[in-house]
Amino acid sequence: MVTDSTTIAPDSIPCLVCKKGNRPKATQCVQCNAPMALVTDSAMQGRTPQVVTVIGESRAGKTVYLGFLLDILAQRASQFDAIPIGSFSVELQQGVMSHLAQRRFPQKTAPQPGRWQWACYEVSRRGSDRWFDVLMPDMAGEALAAEIASPDTVGTVRSLLIQSRGIILCIDAAAAARGHAQPDLFALKVMSYIDSLGGSKRNRRVTTPVAVVLCKSDYCPEAFEAPAEFAQANLGRLWSVCESRFECVEFFASSVVGSVAYSTSPAEPDHVVSIPLHTAPRGIVEPFEWLVDQLP
Amino acid sequence: VALRLFWWRTRSGSGGRARHLRPRKASATSYEPAPPEPLADDMIAQCLQTRRFGMVVSNRERWAQRADVDGAIAEASRQLRQRFAAVPEGFATLPESVREIPGSPEVDVDVQAFRLAVHPVTNAEYQFFVDAGGYSELELWPRDLWPQLPGFVDSSGCQAPRHWREGRHDRRRANHPVVGVCYYEAAAYARWAGYRLPTEAEWQMAASWRLRSLAHLPRRFPWGDALDTRRCNVWATGIGDTAPVDAYPDGAAPNGVQQLIGNVWEWTSSDYEVTDDYGSPVVGDMPMKSVRGGAFDTYFPAQAASTFRTGLAALVRANNVGFRCAVDSDFVAEPAAVGESLRERM
Repeated sequence: MVTDSTTIAPDSIPCLVCKKGNRPKATQCVQCNAPMALVTDSAMQGRTPQVVTVIGESRAGKTVYLGFLLDILAQRASQFDAIPIGSFSVELQQGVMSHLAQRRFPQKTAPQPGRWQWACYEVSRRGSDRWFDVLMPDMAGEALAAEIASPDTVGTVRSLLIQSRGIILCIDAAAAARGHAQPDLFALKVMSYIDSLGGSKRNRRVTTPVAVVLCKSDYCPEAFEAPAEFAQANLGRLWSVCESRFECVEFFASSVVGSVAYSTSPAEPDHVVSIPLHTAPRGIVEPFEWLVDQLP
Repeated sequence: VALRLFWWRTRSGSGGRARHLRPRKASATSYEPAPPEPLADDMIAQCLQTRRFGMVVSNRERWAQRADVDGAIAEASRQLRQRFAAVPEGFATLPESVREIPGSPEVDVDVQAFRLAVHPVTNAEYQFFVDAGGYSELELWPRDLWPQLPGFVDSSGCQAPRHWREGRHDRRRANHPVVGVCYYEAAAYARWAGYRLPTEAEWQMAASWRLRSLAHLPRRFPWGDALDTRRCNVWATGIGDTAPVDAYPDGAAPNGVQQLIGNVWEWTSSDYEVTDDYGSPVVGDMPMKSVRGGAFDTYFPAQAASTFRTGLAALVRANNVGFRCAVDSDFVAEPAAVGESLRERM
């Protein structure tokens, strides 16, 4: 339910992402649709929530990556204990799991922030008493592209990136390995945009940790063997901007699907449908683990 | 001047390049190459040494003049009976649609009795193939594949499975299934050893144990209908890597064939041919072969089930795909009776 900001009571709670005041019982921010559960839960726990943003070009594999990351975290199959905050946090991983189990890729994320899925998790490294809250939205690549092309057109993207304590940048490694320049150029734009968010701090390197995830690396096994070398060889522009402007960057390779096949619909012969034949996640948690280690 | 110097230092970092981005060398994890094992000069002795028992049995006529041939064949037959379990005749129901949902078209394929290797081929066994020059024996490979052969190299450029170094396997993994081999390498090994790869119907019959004489209820797993991570190595088992081929003995099929489920996908000799929801063929980037059984990284239990069909491009050399061999039932001197394997298990 959308509420006019002028009617919001003085005891309104600011949204973690856009800082818009919301009614105390609001479940979603009236402005950016970010879930308010994290803010209220963190306030109760006395913790500062951390925003970790998964970004990348459209069709780079962000949704599938994020869905698997959440599912693996939820199964306590990594070095982390993770508890979803609110049932809405499970919807993204549920959607990704059910699609891939049926040999379908999930639908593309809608570009409108109001239709994104958000996941809030309470996370702790196993054996540690320190819990922290992470908010991970499934951001559409189109929204990111629109914001980069024309800053402030998609305010949620800008707000999220400013608030992010860590960024996971997904790149289509398969396309890069085939010699396509687009993944490299888009990544360069993204990193330049993040760099520009610093404003007057441009005389310093960007300190936000960035985990560059080379998605679909099952197509290019050399990425698994040496992710940074792969990036230097195939994503030279990204490599260069990371080297000159970013303080804390690490490269990772990941893949989710073990084999992909294709079919065409008789109704749309030109439309090729990708079919994930079987699923074999690899390199999913490592970027997140590294990122968590970098968080203040 | 001091401010400018400060700005320059903070902007460009030490020496203009950030140390944190220097590519690290490929993981310097320890690798213990298996020591070379000299191969016997005599052909029969070498076949027995390299576990090419099928080659010995099938060359009975060729070596008929030799005095020691009967003893060699008896030994090879004994080894074959021990290493290849009898699979009774039965049938396999293969889904024809990629979705594999109830009501989708499927086809019943009759399977004749045959023998299936109790274990997948190990690194140690495949090492014999490499050492004996298997990659150079062109008659083992399809003629149209010959131009691809120089590309079947390990991480150091030697002709060997993808993840080996200098043509040697890691001796600590001698008893693990060989991985990093494409379909053609698997088929060449089987041919070299005097065996063959199973068809996917044979593989499914062995795993689902769907006999003609029983009710038409296949087992989803060799031990029953529910995934049990104590009996196989899949993603949920939590190992995240291959295990020795004799691990998980409790996951064996009734005739003793082990690790049909999990550890590594297994190449079969069948093409992967399915259709989509509209009946249109599903194709890959290149011709696909059927692989079966799931692997250590198989996430969904249903995808490790005995009836789950999937495919992989025949030239892929993945870290989770291996193979096991099969022979015809009449290959061994005595007929393959299912009771034989079952008796050995009891």
